[in-house]
Amino acid sequence: MNCERRSPVTLPGRPARSEKRDGWNVVLEYEGESGGPLLIDLSHGRKWDLQDVDIARFKPFGMSIPDDPGQSRLENGILINRMGRTQASIWRLSEQVPDDTADPAFTETTEGQLLLALAGPNIFSITEKLTSLEFDDSSKVTPFLLFGPFSHVPCQTVVLSRSKRDGVLLLACSRGYGRDMTHAILEAGREFRLKPGGENGFAAAMKEIAG
Amino acid sequence: MDRLKDLPTLRIRTEDKVSFKYQGRALEALGGDTVATALFANGVRIFGRSLKYHRPRGLYSLDGECSNTMMRIDSVPNVRAETTSVKDGMNVEAQNGLRRQGFDPLGFMDALSWAMPAGFYYKVFHKPARIWPVAARQIRKAAGLGVISPDFEMAGRYDEIYPHADVCVLGGGPAGLNAALSAAESGLSVILLESRPWLGGFFDYRSKLHARAAELALEVANNPGIRVFTNAPVVGTYSDGLVTAFQRGSKADCFDERYIEVRATSTVVATGCIERPLLFENNEKPGVMQVGCAHRLARSWGILPGKKAVFSVGHDLGLEAAIDLADLGLEVRCVADVREDGQDPRLVGELQKRSIPFYRGWVATQAKGWNRLRSVTLGSVGGAHERRFDCDTLIASAGFTPVWGPIALGQTKMRFDLHTGFFLPERMPQNMYAAGRLLGLCDPASIEASGRLAGLEAAAGRGLDVAARMSAAREELEALPGTVRGSKLAMAPVKGKKAFICFDEDTTVKNIDQALSMGFDMPELIKRFTSAGTGPGQGGIPGHNLPLYVASSMRYQGEVRPTSMRAPLVPVLVATYAGANHDMAKRTGLHESQQAAGGVMERVGVWIRARRFSQEKSARAEVENVRNNVGILDGSTLGKFRIHGPDALKALQRVYVSDMARVVEGRMRYSAMCNEDGCVIDDGVITKLGENDFFFTTSTARAGVTAEWIRYHTRYDDWDYSIVNLTDAYGVINLAGPNSRKVLEKITDADVSNESFPFSCVRDFHIRSIPVRAMRLGFVGELSYEFHVPASFAQSLWEVLEEAGKELGMKNFGLEAQNTMRLEKGHVILGSESEQRTTLHDIGLGGLWSRDKARWKTVGAVALTHTEHQRGRLKLVGFKMEAPASKPPLDGSPIADGRVKGYVCTARYSTALSQPVGMALVEDELAGEGCRLPIFEDDCGGRLLYAKVVPMPFYDPEGKRMKS
Repeated sequence: MNCERRSPVTLPGRPARSEKRDGWNVVLEYEGESGGPLLIDLSHGRKWDLQDVDIARFKPFGMSIPDDPGQSRLENGILINRMGRTQASIWRLSEQVPDDTADPAFTETTEGQLLLALAGPNIFSITEKLTSLEFDDSSKVTPFLLFGPFSHVPCQTVVLSRSKRDGVLLLACSRGYGRDMTHAILEAGREFRLKPGGENGFAAAMKEIAG
Repeated sequence: MDRLKDLPTLRIRTEDKVSFKYQGRALEALGGDTVATALFANGVRIFGRSLKYHRPRGLYSLDGECSNTMMRIDSVPNVRAETTSVKDGMNVEAQNGLRRQGFDPLGFMDALSWAMPAGFYYKVFHKPARIWPVAARQIRKAAGLGVISPDFEMAGRYDEIYPHADVCVLGGGPAGLNAALSAAESGLSVILLESRPWLGGFFDYRSKLHARAAELALEVANNPGIRVFTNAPVVGTYSDGLVTAFQRGSKADCFDERYIEVRATSTVVATGCIERPLLFENNEKPGVMQVGCAHRLARSWGILPGKKAVFSVGHDLGLEAAIDLADLGLEVRCVADVREDGQDPRLVGELQKRSIPFYRGWVATQAKGWNRLRSVTLGSVGGAHERRFDCDTLIASAGFTPVWGPIALGQTKMRFDLHTGFFLPERMPQNMYAAGRLLGLCDPASIEASGRLAGLEAAAGRGLDVAARMSAAREELEALPGTVRGSKLAMAPVKGKKAFICFDEDTTVKNIDQALSMGFDMPELIKRFTSAGTGPGQGGIPGHNLPLYVASSMRYQGEVRPTSMRAPLVPVLVATYAGANHDMAKRTGLHESQQAAGGVMERVGVWIRARRFSQEKSARAEVENVRNNVGILDGSTLGKFRIHGPDALKALQRVYVSDMARVVEGRMRYSAMCNEDGCVIDDGVITKLGENDFFFTTSTARAGVTAEWIRYHTRYDDWDYSIVNLTDAYGVINLAGPNSRKVLEKITDADVSNESFPFSCVRDFHIRSIPVRAMRLGFVGELSYEFHVPASFAQSLWEVLEEAGKELGMKNFGLEAQNTMRLEKGHVILGSESEQRTTLHDIGLGGLWSRDKARWKTVGAVALTHTEHQRGRLKLVGFKMEAPASKPPLDGSPIADGRVKGYVCTARYSTALSQPVGMALVEDELAGEGCRLPIFEDDCGGRLLYAKVVPMPFYDPEGKRMKS
């Protein structure tokens, strides 16, 4: 019996390249991916919740926790989002980084969360059909975190990069909403030719962000 | 009808032919036509019948200001023909009794208007009460505006959008366009909402200003800082810069209508004016229309409003329209102007040049004709002189009404301005700025300048330093012509028997007089008593005239204010509010396999779950399989939490009624949470993971609020603990039945014997390579394991279990079977066996409450002390039906003995006992063993069902099976 792990979503595309990783079937690339915005499933990426009254004392993956709620920090494929006075979320967006989360203050939330990326042109035209969260707030410096309803579901959203209507956005919500969330996003993105994208598409977007 | 050609202002595409049907008749329209203009071009003059009197009604405003042109379009009733673009294949039907243009069998109602005075509904329709149901049906049949079936499903594509901007400009006329440009040039992002399909406002259709409108529209289109939404009427304005609107889509759009919710720091209101109807006898006959309606009909759609027309106006735009329409071929019999003076002499000269008679201080007093206008009587405002003119069109307008709805929604008070004759805001709401005609400006340059100033004011409101530019803009505006003196005449010198102040509700001036004579002296009260302004036009037609007329009556001595505006300012389809309507539900990691196994899936709270796996509603086969063999259930929706930190135990002690200090590693403890009233709100199991580290489950329904509940009840204690919601992180599979251990033993090396893994214990081990946390629970009353597994592995574990259970005949079971079995076992489900007022004691769970931990201030403990022996509470009891062959009563059926004394919580047929059993909450006098419960059911026909209170649990009272 093959004990494989399943993502909360199955994107409606034909995978061109994929690989097995830690029990997950990770799609690296879908057919016909080029051009247009992409919706990428990153749910297999490890995620943690970190809570402590003295949260600043933690240096997960050698990084400092951002000072203020709403701020995020992205370094070497690790994204840390300061959620509140005592809480942060940590998303490992690159497989290259070893784990560093042994302290009991960390709770792994990989299994509980759907993590999607929207990358490419017009993604903020798509998101404004699904949420009133203000991703184009000029007073905020990327990356930044916003909490709120996205297609009526409580979500953590992180704007990694932004250039008018284009950019890269990460979105995390309860795993159970996976199917309906992707359906809602793909439906909203149809007029902008939103397509399923593989992990390589996200890696390329990250490279661009890193300059 | 031939259209006017070669006008630069035309908005129709003559090469684009559109076919549609009206009353079954095939008609042709042109691209760019609305349904109303297309019908008018095809000779239709009667568009509808009025609500009460069934008077014929025609084209009046072109902007959907009243119900005159509401029609049934593609099976949707009450669609405004004036604002709906005609489309190929569209099916248009008249409504409200209009079978053919010239005849309405209910037309006689007009002659009975004397029998329906003001307040008719209030005074007549309450006694005798017995005739009301019959009368109501007949009245609805005669008066209803459109008919819709209760199961009607709205077709179409609906969408929603939530854009942000620094400035939101309402109105795409000259002021709005200038405001948008000046704000965008200041570096701000701007959203512009325009209700018509194009920009330009009242410049657009005027021969000398059309080019300027096009120039401004182009400039706006080329400005990357401005986002334009045309065909997008504003629905409401709210605090914090929230503006709601909706947009009508075209064939090229991905929506038919979409809801728009704009968040902006500043709002510029440049919504302009609508025309104020002139009140005279028969002022709503087909053939009577507003100046803008007639003018736009010709200039934008190439249709002359008639052949011979009389104008009765109160402003210079009326004179301009008369001249322009005369030049386009309309025979203008005369122009009457209610103003004695103040006209633009240039326009008066132009009328004279064309030999059009001009009557200063004259006004239309009566229109004659039934289905079509035949003649108009004009009279001097003083009432001394009269003249009659034959004509087929009367173009009438008393003056202007600013479209101040978006400002009024900001809770500002409106005050009458004597100079302009407008109701104007006493002060603008915060971060809202007004511009253009609604301020009383009429000069084109002034209107544009006021727009530029408002755009800069919005920029200043956003914190930009634009003081110098603002000062220059203000100086520029001050140097231009200011506000214009407006006509204040509300009423021609007539009795007003059929002078309609509100077209939608058939409210006449006489009705207002009747209300005044009965002592109603404020417009707000008169509105409610006479219904004026309560129709689908949202007060557009009567909104200004009603307070003016009431003021002229001198009955009310206070300052007259207009009636309140409320959102939606423009009626919106409910489907548009629903938007894309993504039904967001949660699915477990096992959803597909449940469905594939024939699961009947149901929405249960936020989750979709399998109710049963056959069409047999009681799921008896599933129950029997678990009782005698082994079954498998997806229980992933349970709430699951980790709580950790030095004060985690204290937090648990606070919210759980039991002593959480007794929770040890490797064992579970069942407990419950109460609210401050001692009423039970949740239950679940708690286990200890390590030092200061616990894992607990909650009911599915409470999972979403549990973390906040705990934080709320510990908010003043400064305790150091953290809580993480892991509900979705773990899939839960329940393996239950006497053979469940046999299945488990086949797939794990762990010792799962009763000795090593007894009831109420928790063990971590692997099944194949999958890590599981297994709990020995007995909710269904059998040997049972609950496997908590990382959600991504849930499907794999399910498949492993299925494979292992195959040779034993293991089958799925769903919620229905689980419900029956837990009922047999006497286990409660909170929400089914409890309600808002049910305490822990009431449902027999008082034993969970530890009285020794007072120092933790357990939530609900004080109330539990008080209610423990309180009389008069509903108590949970088990019952069996007296007739074992009878069917189980429906859940929720009242237990009634002269009066209601309780209700059935859950009742099902018990296979194990071969008779129906149930649980009920009953008054304590009925709670004793052996008490007889009379049960009433909706369809019992007076014959009550009888049950007898029996001890619980019904099944395996010693719990041998689940502990085996």
